[in-house]
Amino acid sequence: MNAHETMLDDVAAYALGVLPPAEARAVAAHLQTCEECREEYRLLRPAVTAVGISAEACFDAATAADSVAPPGPLLKKRIMRNIRPNVAEMRAVRPIVWPAYAVAAACLVVALVSGIINISLNSQVHRLENESAQMAAVTRQLRLSNTQMRTALADLTAPDSQRYAVANGEVVKHANRLYIAMNALPPPPKGKVYQAWTLRNGATQMSPSVTFVPNPGGVAVVPLPVNASQIAAVAVSVEPEGGSKQPTSKPTFVLKFT
Amino acid sequence: MLPSEAKEHCVEDADRLMARVRNRDAAAFEALYDAYHRLVYGVALRMLGDVSAAEDVTQAVFLKIWSSPNLFASGNFSGWVVRMTRNRALDVLRSKSRAHVELSDQQPDDDPIEERAFASLDAAQVRMALKQLPAEQRELIELGFFSGVTHEELARRTGVPLGTVKTRIRSGLRRLRTTLEGTVTAV
Repeated sequence: MNAHETMLDDVAAYALGVLPPAEARAVAAHLQTCEECREEYRLLRPAVTAVGISAEACFDAATAADSVAPPGPLLKKRIMRNIRPNVAEMRAVRPIVWPAYAVAAACLVVALVSGIINISLNSQVHRLENESAQMAAVTRQLRLSNTQMRTALADLTAPDSQRYAVANGEVVKHANRLYIAMNALPPPPKGKVYQAWTLRNGATQMSPSVTFVPNPGGVAVVPLPVNASQIAAVAVSVEPEGGSKQPTSKPTFVLKFT
Repeated sequence: MLPSEAKEHCVEDADRLMARVRNRDAAAFEALYDAYHRLVYGVALRMLGDVSAAEDVTQAVFLKIWSSPNLFASGNFSGWVVRMTRNRALDVLRSKSRAHVELSDQQPDDDPIEERAFASLDAAQVRMALKQLPAEQRELIELGFFSGVTHEELARRTGVPLGTVKTRIRSGLRRLRTTLEGTVTAV
């Protein structure tokens, strides 16, 4: 056997893994430079692997004479348990992939929240619409009041207005409009207001009209919602808040138009 | 499914499973364990002769697969696992006896030289091929692979000259390869 044949035998021992380290390193170095030995190694290595494969365990004693004792049932659990923290750790840094049920739950939550927000927004819109409507009504009322005030001012200062002196003020009639104009009216008792009364022509009983309170200066200008030409008398009394259907106190004044 | 068909199926799946393991897919790792734990455990048990020690090696090998999946690039996954298992088992033997100290680290886990054509072989086919070897060749090959001793120790145990041991190993491996090539071709 020549030297290279001996080297090829060493390559076989190297492939099987039975060489001491120093000899293994020498063969490995030789493989880097010798094509023939490298080819021998490439040829034998799969056979060595096959020897290992021959040891694959068979756990079925009923069908295989060379069956072996299987590993304990906890081996797999032990291994899987060991990688779980690693999995959890990786999940913490990797993009999260949500399972379908989580996505569905998230969608449901979003839908519910959206619904709630929608309801809330609708409620807000509704409230704002109401407020807007109320503001419009107030605006209309203010415009009306402003008009009434300007009208009242014009009526009260009109040279041709008819003025009737009463306690704490006067009653003014102008162009079929009727006003109670107080300038020194004391505030009503607590829980009480002033209420106007009118007597229509031909009637025998006073009808309840508007309620009012003077400002801190005792001033109150109250337009009465009637046609002055149809009113025979006007009166004012102190009544409970909200007014009364019949006078419950002695009138502060009663004015009869003649 | 026949065992050989199942084995081929597993081999085809190994690359894909390892790709998923690299992405930290625990389900793929579990599938890999189910497909290859018999091989790992079988090699370890044959080398160590102890169920508990074989289980420890099996666990070490699979945890290594999980922690360092990039050690396997592609090719014969069975071959890679066998080498890794043998090296771990040698570590155990080395810790128990001075007779195995000299064999440390001579079989790299990531040796790229492997033929994918043999990857579909199952244990029964290889055992059959081994039985066709002359007894003196088969004994040296199996003793050399599974006992983890040096060629000198093989010579001492069998009473065969060292040169003859190496020649028989080479002849046996060549014949085994030829037989297996016929098996693969027949499949």
